This record gives sequence, structure tokens and C-alpha cells, in this order.
Amino acid sequence: MTKLKILLTFFFLLQIVIISRLFFLQVLKPFNSNSVNYLTTKKIYPERGKIFDKNSQPLALNKATYLLYAEPKKIKDKPELIEKIDSILNVGISTLESRIDSNKKWVVIRDGLDKTQMKKIHDLNLEGLGFEDKFKRFYPEASLSAHILGFVGKNYDGEDRGYFGIEGLYDKDLSGFPGVIKSDKDILGLPIIIGTQQRLDPENGRDLYLTIDKSVQEIVKNKLKNGLETYGAKEGCIIVANPKTGEITALTCIPDFDVDKYYEFSEDYFKNSAISNLYEPGSIFKPLVMAAAIEEKKIKPDDFYNEDGPVNISGYTIRTWNNKYEGKISITRILEKSSNVGMVYVGQKLGQKNLYKYLKTYGFGENTGIDLQGESSGYIKPEPNWYDIDYATTTFGQGIAITPIQMLMAFSSLVNGGHLMKPYIVSKITSNDSEKKIAPKEQRKTISLRTSEIIKKMLISTVENGEVNWAKPKGYQIGGKTGTAQIPIQGHYDTSKTIASFIGFAPAKDPQFLVLVILREPKTSPWGSETAAPLFFEIAKDLIVYYNIAPE
Amino acid sequence: MKILFKYIFWIFLILLLAVNLGLFVNGMNLSNQIYRFEKESERLHRENLSLENKAYEIDSLKYASSIAPSLNFTNSAQPVYLENLKYALKR
Repeated sequence: MTKLKILLTFFFLLQIVIISRLFFLQVLKPFNSNSVNYLTTKKIYPERGKIFDKNSQPLALNKATYLLYAEPKKIKDKPELIEKIDSILNVGISTLESRIDSNKKWVVIRDGLDKTQMKKIHDLNLEGLGFEDKFKRFYPEASLSAHILGFVGKNYDGEDRGYFGIEGLYDKDLSGFPGVIKSDKDILGLPIIIGTQQRLDPENGRDLYLTIDKSVQEIVKNKLKNGLETYGAKEGCIIVANPKTGEITALTCIPDFDVDKYYEFSEDYFKNSAISNLYEPGSIFKPLVMAAAIEEKKIKPDDFYNEDGPVNISGYTIRTWNNKYEGKISITRILEKSSNVGMVYVGQKLGQKNLYKYLKTYGFGENTGIDLQGESSGYIKPEPNWYDIDYATTTFGQGIAITPIQMLMAFSSLVNGGHLMKPYIVSKITSNDSEKKIAPKEQRKTISLRTSEIIKKMLISTVENGEVNWAKPKGYQIGGKTGTAQIPIQGHYDTSKTIASFIGFAPAKDPQFLVLVILREPKTSPWGSETAAPLFFEIAKDLIVYYNIAPE
Repeated sequence: MKILFKYIFWIFLILLLAVNLGLFVNGMNLSNQIYRFEKESERLHRENLSLENKAYEIDSLKYASSIAPSLNFTNSAQPVYLENLKYALKR
């Protein structure tokens, strides 16, 4: 019995020791550690999908960052803490004071800290501070493709969300799904093996591969920047596409914004002018009407027109751009000299009903379906609301409002055999276990192959016999059309302000690229032939070299 | 016989206790290891991301254009054969 009593006494004393220690730890001096996570359920944030160009070069990646938070009720010396943090972060003492509200349990001090900043603050060993692991978007090419990519901001719940461009439209694919970890943990934050351990892995966002070529984008953006400076234009856009497939190889508009510091820019900068802004295209619209008339067999390529003077339509006088008239000219010459009166004649031959029908056939008044957020469809007023003057001015691209991407795709159909292609930027979406390729899609047929070949020849002739002698790359046949559209302001046209443009393709026989250049309000000259056209030919030279296109 | 059984019983109990304690301590060690490996793999992943980003940054056009002046890349490096086809066609 004595041995039993000794054993019992031993166990009794052991229990007293354990209970006393527990009392001490939980009641008298509770253990306080910044790394303790008392939550048994924790969200695991997925990594946002990456974005690559057509050569698998990265355009948007993720980088590891830290969110610095404070638990104000655990802070002992607030002024000292604020001073020390501000010496590293330079946020501003008053900002920190307002953020660290003593009435709150948990506040965010600063998000997006890098490893160096985190280590400096961690080494201060300040009570009441902690870090959360986060990811932030990283753009190795900075704002090279600002309007294409968009940016990643926050939603109302403070979670990452893409806005504009690819980040906006494909936000669900890029976001992925969060995971959950349910774990019983002890006071030191260590998992209790025999307790609950459940984990649902996060599904990281899908990666996107674009049709954009980083090198072409670089060429085009640099040329546009130089062009805006050289010609004193307010803003500009350049789009490069493969006319056969609808792949967008490059798209840039200036002014744009810094994708890392998007919050410093107003919303006006986020709008992608290439897909959102409406403008009157001017003379680059003429080949569309010409092709329609040829397709409908209302005119033939060897027909002639008597350009003997201005034309009067419903009391409005329509003149050529230089008020010069050459008498009997060929249909091709109408395009070469960009004759407005000649185009009114072509439009009249085509007929009002047909002209309206072809506007719809070319895709105007509806979205092209390009996979960027923020596209505008433009507006074609209903047919009963059209007057004779509307039909007349439409033939030379005035009195009609379209987007640059609509213009580009309609023009593509002229040079690719008559196929109106859907423009697209994302060619492949990949995840851990699947890959989805996006194929070129034809919306509809606009003109026949025969008409396409005829209009291509006319456009080559337009470049060769144009009013201005451009510095064309020798040994190559290039087709295209200039445009100079007056800008409508409060019901009338301001003759001093124009939108100068040029649309062109090369090599003419089998076009590898189609480029649309738009400059708004160039100061050196209002004419597209003296501003947008030279810029196009500079780009064309670089693209010919880049694509290794042999001389014809 | 009775005494033998008694001894066996107590030895068995003590063994059970020892095994129990051993399992408990092992469990704690395992949790420590799991915690360590989890933290380590998270750290490695973040370091991996950082290195990957550095590699992509060095490979970027933005970096190339920033060091181009020091590497003496000038406009004269652009090809001229588009203007003088005699080079390409060996005329």
C-alpha cells in the first residue's frame, strides 16, 4: 500500500504542477507573440496568372511583397513606433498617426513592401506590428503595353481586381480561386498533428499568351513617341495587325499611363483610344466605299469620271481637298488624288441602300469583339434618319463616327480576300492541367477575292502615284491610303484641327502586316500625307527588317 | 503465478506510458518540422519569384534600352540595305 500511496502522491503533485503552470500561462501572464495565428481557418491566396507575349516573353508577372499591419491595442509606445517606421517607409508621421487608430484591433499600415523594407522593420523588434505575405503585379517592360494590359487595382473588399485591357476582361481567368487551410495550432503557432488538419490547395490563375509581339510593340511605341514630338500632335494611336488572321501584333496609344502607379493618373488616361474613342476617319474610308461599288458591279476599275468642279448636295458644296479638278480621271485616280467629288460620284453609283448595307457588312455600329475591356461600338443612325448629304459625306469618311479598331478590321477585309476577321489579342490560355488555344475567327465575307485583288492594286497605285513622294522602302510594293479628317466641334468642323491618318499594308501581294497610324491635331501640317504617312513608312521599314521580308 | 501476472501487468502499463509519451514527443517534433518546412518552402518560393523576376528584368527591352547608350548602340547600327539594295542583291 505504501508504494501505491507514493505513486498516487507523485501523480497528484505532477497534476498540481501542470495546473499551476497552465494558470500562470493563461491567466497571470498570457503568452504574447506577433507570429501567433490564433485562427484555425486561414485563406490561401492564389497567385495571379501571368501574361506573356507571342514569343513567351513575360509582360506581367507577380512579385512577392509584404503587407505591414499593426495591432494598435498591443502597441506600447506609439510615438516611438511611428517615428521608427516613418524613417524607413517615409509615409509621413501624420498619415501613420491617423492610420494607427487605438480604437481598432487591426489596421493596415502599408501594402507592397519589398523584402529589404520588411527586414528593416522586422529588425526593429517593435511590438504590435506584423507582416502578411502577399503578391503584387510586376511588369518587366513597364508601360510598354499599358493600354493592352490594363492594371490591377482593388475592389470594394480590398481584394485584387483587374481593370481595363487584358487584366480587366480576363480578370476571372487570371484571379484563380483561393484555398483554405484548417489547422489546429498551439500557442506557438505550431500545428497539432493529432488535431484537425485540412487543406484545400488554391487554384492559381491561368496564364495568358498574347498575339502581341514585344519587339513590334517597342518599335511602334518608340516611333509614335518620336512622331508626336516631330509633328507636334496632341495624341496618337498605332495598331499593327495580321490582316489574314485578325491577330493584333501591336497596339499603342499615347498619352498612356504608368501601370505600376496607375493611381496617380486620372481615368481619362486608362481609356484605350484605339477601341473606345470615336472619330471621323476621313479619306482612309474611301477604299471601303470603292470596293463596295466594284463588288456590286456599279463601277469597273477601267471606268472614268469627269471631275469638272465642286458638287452640290442638298445645298452643301463638296470640293476636293485642294479645290483642283483634273477633268476626265480614272476610278483609280479618284483614290490616288483622294477626290471627294469623285467619291460622291462612286457613292451615287453604289446607291444609298447599298452604301448603308455595306456599312453594316464592314462591321460599323457593332463591337468588333476584341478581347480588351472598354470597347465602344460607335453608332450608325437608323436608315430612315439619313439625308442625302449624310450619304455623300460618308463616301469620304466624314459624318460617320467609328473606332480605329473597326476601321482596321474593315480595311483588313479589303486586302485579305474579303474576310472580316474578329480581332483578338489572347491566343492561348493555360493552366496546370489544360491549355486552350484561340483560333482566328471570320465574322463574315465582305467582298469577293476578285474585288480584293482589284482594290489592292488600286491602293498600291495610290501609294506610288500619291500627291507626296514618300520615303518608301525600295524593292517593296506597299499599298495604303492617307486620311485627313476635320474634327467636328459643336455642330461644325474646325478647319484648323484635323485627325491625320494613314493605313497601309506590305508586302502588297501577300500582306504580312497592316498598320493604322492616327495622329490627332498635328501642328507641323494638318495633312495625313505629311505626318501619318511618313510615320507609317518608318514603321514599315523596321517591320520589313524584323519579319525578314525579302524584296519583291 | 499471481505475482508474475502482477509484474507483467505493471511492466505493460509502464511500457504503454512510455510509448504514449514517446508518440506525443514525436508528434510535437513532427509539427515543428512541418512548420519549419512550410515556412522554408514559402521562403524558397518567394525567393524563386524574386530571382525569376530579376532574370526577366535583365532580359527585358526596357533594361536593354537603358544600357544601350553605355554599350554604344547607335542609329548607325540600323541596316541600310533597304535604301541600297546592291548589298542585298550583290550588285
